[in-house]
Parts: sequence; structure tokens; C-alpha cells
Amino acid sequence: MLSSIKARQIRIAYLFLLPAIIVFTLGLIVPLANTFELSFNRLSMGSRWEDRDYVGADNYARMVDDAHVLSSVGVTLRFAAVVLAAELVIGMGLALLLEKPIKGAAIFRTIFILPLMVSPVAVGLIWRYLLDGRIGLVNHYLGLLGIPAQTWLGDPNLAFFSIVITDIWQWTPFIFIILLAGLQALPSEVLEASRIDGANWFQMTFLIKVPMLRSILLVTILMRLIDVFRALEVIFIMTFGGPGRSTQVLSLHIYKTAFTSQTLGYASTIAVVLMFLMLVLSLGLLLFSNPLKERADF
Amino acid sequence: MRKRILAVALALSLLASLSASVMAQDAFDPYAPYRGDTIVVSWPSLYHFQQAATLIPQFEEETGINVEVDFLQYQAMKPAQEVELQKPRTGEYDVVAWVVFTKSEYVINGYLEPLANFFVDPALADPSYMPEDLVPAWVETGGVVGGTNAYLPGPTQALYGLPFGAETSILVYRADIFEEHDLAVPTTYDEMLSTAAYITENVDGVYGMTSRGAAGHQIVHGWLLHLSPYGGTIFDSSWEPVVTSPEAIASLHALKTIMDNSPPGVETYGFGDQANAFLQGDSAMYVDSHKVAAMTRDPNQSLVDGKVGYALHPKVGDAECGLSETGGFAMGIPSNSANQEAAFLFMQWMTSPRIDRELALIGGDPARISTLNDPEMQAMFPEYAVVVEQLECANPNWRPLIPEWGALNAPILGVYVSEFATGAMSAEEAMAQAAEEIRAEMDRAGYYGWSSMGM
Repeated sequence: MLSSIKARQIRIAYLFLLPAIIVFTLGLIVPLANTFELSFNRLSMGSRWEDRDYVGADNYARMVDDAHVLSSVGVTLRFAAVVLAAELVIGMGLALLLEKPIKGAAIFRTIFILPLMVSPVAVGLIWRYLLDGRIGLVNHYLGLLGIPAQTWLGDPNLAFFSIVITDIWQWTPFIFIILLAGLQALPSEVLEASRIDGANWFQMTFLIKVPMLRSILLVTILMRLIDVFRALEVIFIMTFGGPGRSTQVLSLHIYKTAFTSQTLGYASTIAVVLMFLMLVLSLGLLLFSNPLKERADF
Repeated sequence: MRKRILAVALALSLLASLSASVMAQDAFDPYAPYRGDTIVVSWPSLYHFQQAATLIPQFEEETGINVEVDFLQYQAMKPAQEVELQKPRTGEYDVVAWVVFTKSEYVINGYLEPLANFFVDPALADPSYMPEDLVPAWVETGGVVGGTNAYLPGPTQALYGLPFGAETSILVYRADIFEEHDLAVPTTYDEMLSTAAYITENVDGVYGMTSRGAAGHQIVHGWLLHLSPYGGTIFDSSWEPVVTSPEAIASLHALKTIMDNSPPGVETYGFGDQANAFLQGDSAMYVDSHKVAAMTRDPNQSLVDGKVGYALHPKVGDAECGLSETGGFAMGIPSNSANQEAAFLFMQWMTSPRIDRELALIGGDPARISTLNDPEMQAMFPEYAVVVEQLECANPNWRPLIPEWGALNAPILGVYVSEFATGAMSAEEAMAQAAEEIRAEMDRAGYYGWSSMGM
């Protein structure tokens, strides 16, 4: 009797899971499998799926020698490293500053998370105009300080710097808000005990709070890492990868290969490599410290 | 008696209606079979097309054919069209406009109907249409496919589109600055480049020139404008890339000098930004599409109305004239349109001598020599006289309009021209690398298959 009830419950559980499984399969597994298959084929835009030509590992062989792919992997890794480091430091700093119930904290918190609510296309446009060499406000104010006008988006180094600043402006609030929630959820007993033991601010922050936030930090880094690798819209609008290849991240290169060069097969090959790269980085991070495993150990 | 009167009245009215219908048959109306039909037109939301759309009610009234226009931002238009054009059965669009470099791609994918199918039909083709009056360079660039090199006119050509919103390049300059500083209007590149440097140095707050400079399609367009008058091309006659030729390298250096004498940030300029630099009075010279002329007269976007002069695209050395670009848009009929005849009638009406002139009067771009040559129009639009003269020297081969152009343009040339322009590579180095990648792309596309047979 009991087992039949249990079997029924399991059946119902599967029934409830079914919509999610269908959506997951149609929305993720099938496109992924198609991308993987397409990476071994040649197919141009405008041709039908049935007209694809199987080319074996040609696309992969081509990619190994493709200077554009290598340079865009380099740009992506550099971009990811710089923005993640900066966003973590600034986000953590802001969270520590605003965790205490100081006067006006709610206003500051709201202001800080505003950039997160702006759509990436709007962010790209806003910063593009702010940094415009001719009419940009940034150059205008720098001019008031006697600093000569810079071609922010026209110089390879400054353009990279500009997309880094834009990403930091938009995404630091994300890290800030998660870390703030994490800090406020820390068990007060531990903090009180450390205070009674005479820990100073530095010790409390770096020896108690940060280690206790490790799981949250790791998940945040992982989410941002995936985001950074997907970053497309803002760079698309601000520089479209230029000047030269200085801001051509891998996702933008894939976009151009698919929709400008119209070579869907080769674009899929690079997309598969991007996926692989993200998988390796994510697994590496999880191996280093797996928040899910730690939770299971409790 | 009453009955008889009624019978006579009935007979008379029958006779009247019968004769009316016979008379109607006698008065030929090409639009009658399509009256009440609705055609859907895919146009870019650009000024010329928006002005053309204001004439649609007139078309509807004259013909009884209804027209719906699907306006899309011009870069978003092609993906939307592709969705419809790929449909194996009837697609949504009956008329599509395309940027000229899309024509071969659309034809090779079987998207477009040859216009000969309609021009041979006496019920459709208007004898007063005067196709020879359409600017030949624009017909060739926007509508001809399958001739020499697949995209130029030649014995094997076919016509798929009519020019609509087409353009060529001319020199537009600030007449007031030239007069004030006693400068001669440049006729050669050397003169233009030295005048640009002079203005940048000596005219306060004004740069000598403006240019497209953003990595990708924009900077390639900017460069090709100069490659053509310098006598360079992308390919030789056997599809070998010749972007390392002395002409190509010289034209790259010309581009660099132009960019060095343009407002700061030119490395990010697209067409709109470069035009704005001129319209806002920051640049004294502009060499690109003649469409900027109409923009200079628009008080909403221009501070230079009345201060502008027009001249021919400068030439290089002893050349007869500067080989200008031929670009812009053309329109044609999708193969999967269900209303092809009505669509043809619409295109024919829109590009007819009468409407071409009407459209020009409200700010559209004329496609006919008669409109451009009309003294009344030339008095109103001073650039027309220059455009007509320039079109004699327009070069439909200034850019290879092959289906693979998309893969060569922004992804390869767009990167290396930008690498050179921003100082990351030398011209020779950048073009050698570009040539290698272009050749690989052309090889993959099968351009060297026949020649490799050695027959």
C-alpha cells in the first residue's frame, strides 16, 4: 500500500518535471546538439539545413590557424580578468561600506543598482556618446580640467579601457547586491564573538567575513565569468570590435562569422570552442572550491 | 402603355450599361486586373524611402492597388527579408529594396524574379517608361547580375532590380571657408590632401576633412572610395586579390591622411557620424555619397545650409576623372511573391519619369538622367549638375559585388584597414595579411576550381 502510494508520488513528480524537461530539451539540448553537428559542416546563411555539406574536422583545422580566433580569445580572457578583478574589489568594498545601517544607506543602495536595470543596448549607446571624441561629455569635462581630448573609442588601448569601464559601471552593482545580501546573512554570533575577542576591522573583514562568504563569492564569480564570455551587445554598439581587433571578444567574432561572413558552420565551430573554454574555466573554479559540495558536507 | 414604357426603359438601361462596359474594355487600364489587391513592400527607414512612401496614396488612387510598407532600420531589413524570401511557398513581401552589395547573394539564393519576365509583357510594361533614361551606372550596380565577373554588365547579364535611392560620390566642401581663405577647390587627390592639412592647421575649430573610420564595413567603404580613383581593385581578372598593389597602398595612405585631418574620434565614425561632422561645421570637406547634399539643407540637422559647394570626386594624377562609387539601393520582386504583376506595376510607377521628378521635388533621390538634367531642378538642387557630370565617371566595379563580399568586407578588410589606420600595422603588412585571408576565403568558395584544372 505504502509503496504504491510512493510509486504514485514519484509518477506525479515526474509528471510535474515533464514540462521543464521538454523545455530544457527543446530549448537547450537540441540547439546545442545542432550547433555541435553544424560545427562539422559548411552552411551559409540563406541555405536550408538539408543543404549543409559535411566537411569533417576542416572547420576545426581552420580554426587552429585562424589569427582572428586566437586574438579574440586573448581579448576575451584579458577582458574577463580585468573586469572580474575590478568588479570584485569595488563590489566588495561597496558592500562592506553599506552593510551597516548608516543614514541614507537605502538611497545609496538604490542608486548603486540602477545601472543593472538599464538594457545593455542603452548602456552601449550612453557610453558611446559619453566617450565620443567630438561631442562626448567625458572629453568636455576633461577639457575643463585642461586635459586634451582623447579618442576613447578610436585608439586601440583606450577603446579596450573604455569597454572595461563600461562593464564595471554596469556589472559591479550585481556583485555588490549579492555580496551585500551575503554579508547581511552572516551569523551574528560569529561576528559578535570575534568582536568580543578583540578583532579589529581588518581581521573581521579578511579573516572572518570574506572566508565565510567564499561560497557566495565563488558562485558570483562563476555567474559573472559566464556573462563576460557572452558579452556582446555593449561592445557591438560601442566599438563593433574595433579599432582593428582591439575589442573583438570571442562572442562578437562568432556573431560576425555567422551573420556578416554568413558562414554558419564555421561560426558553430568557434561557438563549440567557446562553450568548451567556459566549461573548463567553470570546472576549474568548482574544483578549486565547490560551494554545493561544501553545503553537502554540513 | 405603362408596361411598354417600362420595357423600353429597361431595354435602354440595359443597352446603356452594355455599351459602358464595351467602352470600358476599349479604354485600356493596366491596373484594372489588380484593383483591390494589396502588395507589401519592404523598405529601409531612410529619408528617400520615407519621402517615397508619401506618394503611395497617390499610387493607390491612380491604380486601385493597395500598398503596405514594412519600414525597417536598414541593417535590420536584410535579416527580416531573408526570413520571408526563404519561404518555399508565398512570402510576405511583394517588393524588396536591397543595398547594392546584396544583389548577387539574393540572386544566387533564388530569391528574385528576373525583371525581363515583366518588361516583355505588353499588358504590364509601360511604353513611355524610358528605361534608357535611368542612370546606367546605377542600373548596373543595383540591378544587373550574371554579366562580367557575375556582378557587372556583360553579354550574359540579367536584370533583377531598378535603382531606387542610389548614390555616387562627390566632393562637398564649405564654400565660405574656401572663399575666406582664398583656397582653390581641389580637383586632384594631392590638392585635396594638402588643402585638408592647410585647413586643419589654419582654420580655428575646423578640420580639413571627415571620413568613415569605424572598424568593419565603414572603414572599408571609406577606403574603397579612394582605391577606385587611385586605379586599384580588390581582385584581378582571375580573382586573385591585389590589395597589396602600389595603387592600393597609396590609397590607404590617402585614407590615413584624410583621417589624420578629420575630427577626433574619426576611427569610430560610420556614415552618420562623418556626415554630422560636416553638417555641424567641424569639417570643411567631405568625399562620399551625394546624399549629404539634401541633409545640408535640412535645418534640423545642418548648420551649414547655404555655405556648401559641390565638385567632382577628385582624380589622381593625370587621370581623366575621379572614378566615383556607385551604391545605395535598388528594388525588385521576390520569386515567392503572390502579387508579382501588381508589384511590377508599383515599381514601374515609382521609378517612372513623372514620379522620379515628383519624388526629387520632395527630397527623394532621383534615378533618372532627365530629372538630374532638368534646369529647373538644378536651380533648386545645385548638386544635381555635379552628380550628372560625375556619373559619367562612376565606376560600377569599385567594389566586388560577389556573394562572398560579406565575408571579405567587414571580417577581413574591415579589420586590417582599421589595424593600419590606427597604427597597429603598416599598410604593406596589413594588406599582405588581408590578401592571404581573402584568397583562402575565395578558395573555399570555389573561385579557383576552374583555373586549377589547367585547361
